[in-house]
Amino acid sequence: MSSHREAPEIAKDPVADSTDVYAFVSPDQPDTVTLIANYIPLQAPAGGPNFYEFGDDVRYEIHVDNDGDGRADISFQFRFTTTVANPNTFLYNTGPIQSLASPNWNRRQSYDVTVQSGFSSRTLGSGLACPPCNIGPLSTPDYPALAAQAVHRLGHGITVFAGQRAEGFYVDLGAIFDLGDLRPFANLHATFGLPGLQAGPGVNATNHLNVHSIAIQLPASQLTRSGHPAIGVWTTASRQRVRLWDADNGQNVDSGPFRQVSRLGNPLVNEVLIPLGQKDRWNSLPPSDDKLFAGYIAHPGLAALLPDLYPGVFPNLAKLVASGQPRADLEAILLTGIPAGLIPGFQNFTGPVQADMLRLNTSVAPTPAAKQSIFGLLGGDAAGFPNGRRVTDDVVAIELRALAGVTYPLIDKTFTPDAAAGKLTDGLTPASVSAPYLGQFPYLGVPYSGFTNPS
Amino acid sequence: MPSHDDTHAPDPEGRGLSRRSLLHGAATAGAAGLAATAMGAGPALAAASPGQGQAHGTPATAEGAQGPIVVHVRDARSGDIEVFHGTSQSRLRDTDLAARIARAVG
Repeated sequence: MSSHREAPEIAKDPVADSTDVYAFVSPDQPDTVTLIANYIPLQAPAGGPNFYEFGDDVRYEIHVDNDGDGRADISFQFRFTTTVANPNTFLYNTGPIQSLASPNWNRRQSYDVTVQSGFSSRTLGSGLACPPCNIGPLSTPDYPALAAQAVHRLGHGITVFAGQRAEGFYVDLGAIFDLGDLRPFANLHATFGLPGLQAGPGVNATNHLNVHSIAIQLPASQLTRSGHPAIGVWTTASRQRVRLWDADNGQNVDSGPFRQVSRLGNPLVNEVLIPLGQKDRWNSLPPSDDKLFAGYIAHPGLAALLPDLYPGVFPNLAKLVASGQPRADLEAILLTGIPAGLIPGFQNFTGPVQADMLRLNTSVAPTPAAKQSIFGLLGGDAAGFPNGRRVTDDVVAIELRALAGVTYPLIDKTFTPDAAAGKLTDGLTPASVSAPYLGQFPYLGVPYSGFTNPS
Repeated sequence: MPSHDDTHAPDPEGRGLSRRSLLHGAATAGAAGLAATAMGAGPALAAASPGQGQAHGTPATAEGAQGPIVVHVRDARSGDIEVFHGTSQSRLRDTDLAARIARAVG
């Protein structure tokens, strides 16, 4: 998964578990940038009566670095408050919820948004309503209308939304975590001496599941420095250091300063590049410390595994791995941004500091929908990953292909990627997501309802 | 530059206080209550015994503290103690206090 349940400790704390980050020039508002951070992975839509919600005790943040030091220059902080109208019923709602002010909605959340820049902190909005979860045709009969009410325009061109959305990240988890037997190529897998597998289409393991999204759209000029259009974006979740179970009152008591427990910039970095024993530590550190982990990017274990998992399919990759040459292509893509001169007319370099951030060159205009490639830069579409990340980008295929050597010629033109490297995929596309993506903010689809999922 | 891990950061929303007020009764429960009791009988954090205790960070005075105070004795033998209150923490070294707390739970 992009970053769902990616580390041992955070896997036990889904409310604080970041799953995906998106950053892109808004296709319908090209003078703005949209930043989205998703949390609470793999939500079964019918998961009541206590439906999914943000943590009041979690400090959620989306950070922007605009001077290339791997540290936040601008941080948007989201803090949530849950209120219960009637604690004497077990019901989430006592009747249809047809507006965010509905008295039938028993347990609701609101949030405050503040922006921190330098030593200043400014409240952008207070008491902003989240939508309810999508329960079903009787409880939430017109969910799109409810969600639209939860899109808040805060002035200065800033729009925010926080609430449940359909999972837009498509991935064949069952195949990938079954020792990498990508279904389209399963017939080529070594299978460890077990009976061979047959090739088949991918299965989107996240289909019909929901997440909770924090989304903000604002003018690009509010994020960038003059003359420096490339920014680095990541999200963090922090908890106070102490939590005590107050048995007398049946609730937790939190105390002490906040400490970061979850971090996410580029998809799949902590998930598949950072080793198990380092993942939670990685989650606790800022991107500016990522030099500590650069070796795992320069010598990725997954790249070394591919030739073993698929014998004879990746001979050139095998030689590259055996050479011990650091993967400077991956370091550029994931840790510094791509400098000018490697891809004609494109760069999203933020500087030499190695930091895992989702880098977006905000001066690259959005590609019209009909001309977009889900393979982003690899598909010749400079408005897609790894130049930021759009909700439809196939980051699994892009990163698999990059790991397999497709991007290595960027720094060594004598290297010829294996023919299979450019075809790697888990067999999925945006069409594998049943809930249509939206053409406007917050872009991720209407969450699946509990009544109809599973069906 | 925004802080990721602000050890002594104030709660910008002030929400912690209101929440703590809801949890007022918790101060006498569990480790928090134990710690508060022990501290009340011992030296104040900011005035730890010379040569024994040295507080780091913002102290929580007995008069001013509202809500639970949580004490974490990291190492009773060396007197390494962390004290949490609100969104702040302090660290001190006080072998006497650590010993008193250890006796209280032993």
